[in-house]
Amino acid sequence: MASRKEEKERLRRERLRAEEGERVAQRRRRAIQLGSVAVLGALVIVAVLIAVSQSGGGGGSTDIQGAADVESLLQGIPQRGTTLGEPGAKVTIVEYGDLQCPVCKQYSETVIPDLIKGPVRSGVAKLEFRNWVIIGPESMDAAKAALAASRQGRYWTYIELFYRNQGQENSGYVTDEFMTAVAKAAGVPDLQRWDSDRASGRWDAAIAADASEAQRYGFSGTPSFVVAGPGGTQPLGTPGSAAAIERAIKAVG
Amino acid sequence: MAEGAAPQARRRILAGEAGLRLGAAVLALAGIGVSTYIALAEAGGGAPVCLAGGHGCTTVAQSEYSHLAGINVAVIGIAGYAGLLAAAAVPGDAGRFAGLLLAIAGFGFSAYLTYLELFVIDAICQWCVASAVIMALLLIVNGTRAWRYAGAELASASPR
Repeated sequence: MASRKEEKERLRRERLRAEEGERVAQRRRRAIQLGSVAVLGALVIVAVLIAVSQSGGGGGSTDIQGAADVESLLQGIPQRGTTLGEPGAKVTIVEYGDLQCPVCKQYSETVIPDLIKGPVRSGVAKLEFRNWVIIGPESMDAAKAALAASRQGRYWTYIELFYRNQGQENSGYVTDEFMTAVAKAAGVPDLQRWDSDRASGRWDAAIAADASEAQRYGFSGTPSFVVAGPGGTQPLGTPGSAAAIERAIKAVG
Repeated sequence: MAEGAAPQARRRILAGEAGLRLGAAVLALAGIGVSTYIALAEAGGGAPVCLAGGHGCTTVAQSEYSHLAGINVAVIGIAGYAGLLAAAAVPGDAGRFAGLLLAIAGFGFSAYLTYLELFVIDAICQWCVASAVIMALLLIVNGTRAWRYAGAELASASPR
């Protein structure tokens, strides 16, 4: 009697073990199915996100826009080296910018024209652009191209035109063709000289010094501004409007 | 006695999963916090403040890659973390599947963004790194949840 009962119990335990084993196997199968579908789904999502992100690339156009606007904005204002405006102006506005920086482009199209039409044209202040190269190697090429134009009195025209034709940063658009097209549109008189000037190592030290200077002021990004005059020096950082810069001009002028 | 064993086992299993779900929810909330800060800081044309100084955050925020089809990547991050939070709240295989899917996708996209920072933009933003770390932890937690507990409800079958 007892052995029959034991046998029954043994069979019951075996059945429970087999059922448990089956349940574990089922769960493993479920986990693998779920994992496979999730991995495939996630790969599709990531591929779509990357494709959309990459589709924004491009640039490198040699069809330069805005030359007439820039020409009329700067018409009649002296350009000497990296400075725009009357050399004797009491106040100097220094912009630390990167030619690839999209916010600098916004400033170039909104804030800078107000300054040029106002205090710079009236001779109260002069503007100086210093290259703070922070975005990438293409910014360095662009900075040297602009500085090479400064040797022929077309620095500000070059900078303003570069911003108006700016592409996506580090996307490969700052090609020799693009920079040459900007130089042509900016009216650089001797393109051959400009080409050899931008390739020379003469700008490296000046660009490095500009970056150190911006960092010494404690600026966190481009564009950043400093306004200096007889009444002192005001590091403004990124001021947000031409009005803020004009207030600083009044304060130090 | 035997009839109550499977539901008990199921309860035990699901109690173990609750800890992982709670961990996933806490991480997702942290991710929402980081992404919201980045999105708000960039909303006015600014950038998040790098805690140790430097201008990596500004450079990354000003990069073209900070937007995807006109949408700030940080906003996409908020949506992803919100999805992961919802997945942590949903019990069963639906929650496990959604959590795993979103965590793999989030981790993959974070890896791509980190690659862009290192090799294309040449700048590192600490807040983006923080988000990438949170996403990696979410992948570990959601992967563990899916592997250990997928089909856990099958344990409720009563022994015949």
